[in-house]
Amino acid sequence: MSHAELDDLAGLALDRDDVSPDVQRHVDGCLQCTEAVDAFAAARALAGGGPLVAPPQHVRAQVMTHVRRGTPDARSAAIPLPVALESHPRARRGISPWLAGIAAALALLAGLGLGRLTGEPAPTPEAVDPGTVVAAADLTALDSDAARGVASAVETADAVTLRVSAEELGDGDGVHEVWLINVDGKRMVAIGLLASGDEGQFEVPLGLIDKGYRIVDISVEPDDGDPTHSGVSLARGELA
Amino acid sequence: MTVVAFPTRTPRYGGPVVTEAVTFDDEHDTSVEDVAARLVAGDETALEEVYDRWSALVHTYAHRALGDAHDAEDATQQVFVAAWHSRHTLTPSPSALPAWLIGIARHKISDVRAARARDARRAEAAITVDGVGITSEQSAEHDVAEQLVIRQVVQDLPDPRKTILFLAFWEGQSHAEISESTGLPLGTVKSHVRRGLIHIQQQLEGVRRESR
Ligand SMILES: [Zn+2]
Repeated sequence: MSHAELDDLAGLALDRDDVSPDVQRHVDGCLQCTEAVDAFAAARALAGGGPLVAPPQHVRAQVMTHVRRGTPDARSAAIPLPVALESHPRARRGISPWLAGIAAALALLAGLGLGRLTGEPAPTPEAVDPGTVVAAADLTALDSDAARGVASAVETADAVTLRVSAEELGDGDGVHEVWLINVDGKRMVAIGLLASGDEGQFEVPLGLIDKGYRIVDISVEPDDGDPTHSGVSLARGELA
Repeated sequence: MTVVAFPTRTPRYGGPVVTEAVTFDDEHDTSVEDVAARLVAGDETALEEVYDRWSALVHTYAHRALGDAHDAEDATQQVFVAAWHSRHTLTPSPSALPAWLIGIARHKISDVRAARARDARRAEAAITVDGVGITSEQSAEHDVAEQLVIRQVVQDLPDPRKTILFLAFWEGQSHAEISESTGLPLGTVKSHVRRGLIHIQQQLEGVRRESR
């Protein structure tokens, strides 16, 4: 007879008795079919692992922040990416040994004149504290989950800077203003205007975010001189 | 900076900010090739889709390999940023993405290990690494990667096949028990399990081929 059907070969790997004796006889005498059964049995033996555990949400925002900041490909392709240097809050408690290794490698690269790789603003000649991303948020529309960019809070020794990189806010009239809303839902502070429409950096007082002002909100404000929130929010996300 | 009252017109807040991982219903999934092609072309939303679909795979693999939650998060972040920067090395095909991401993750994991080993030597904490130990560790890790890929493959299947495979391979239920609990005829259950196993094996072959 000809070779066994895939269905029967898989069946043999699962339960030999489920397959007709004719097929069993062929497979027993056929190297090719036996190999296929073995491959199915091996795959079956590997099934049962897991579960898959998603990374915390802030990792996604950090990835997209790095990507949108746009390190030129040519420089980054061959060299280790320094992304771990500005990781989550743990970095503040002390840099782990392997991060220190990367930092050392980066210092070496800088010494070789390859310059900074993070795509952040060019350093001044003095020592520059690149800061640590302590929290990040994916911004989304309010009436759907459509992506509206990212925000990240970067902490240096003496300041916290909120970086907003929004997208697809629309072409409506008015200016875009950034707010931090307290998670208590009762208080909010205006932190500045997105002069270019969708990009901006704002220094915020130390501790403000820790006090619960974690929800980044972008509103559209009519030119009416009213300093309060217009009530029309284009994007939101919670720093985490 | 002015503190003002919370605006009353807030249509919605409190729902998930990050959308749930995208699920695909098509077993013969052309969406993988599409998203891979868009990624290669430099479409950032493709990276988001790739992240939503495979970050759990990468993260779990890194966590199992490194045994440290924080290192696993860092490695996951680095894998996807590196994936973006080396996207031109990806050849779109159905199995290419998980194979490629696992490959990048493997590099990041060995970077972390190398740095840990360097650090240990620097601290003069004597560690001896014998070749046998490394070999068995690597082959166990290879199995872990393949187990996780299979888990992903099954999670991506449409129901009822997904549920049937979980009951059969993860819960260890017999075909008769599955037939009982799902109300599906025994023959249907058997057929789903067989086809599911064929699908798993083919996807695994694809990943192996791509990661060569
Ligand atoms: Zn045969």
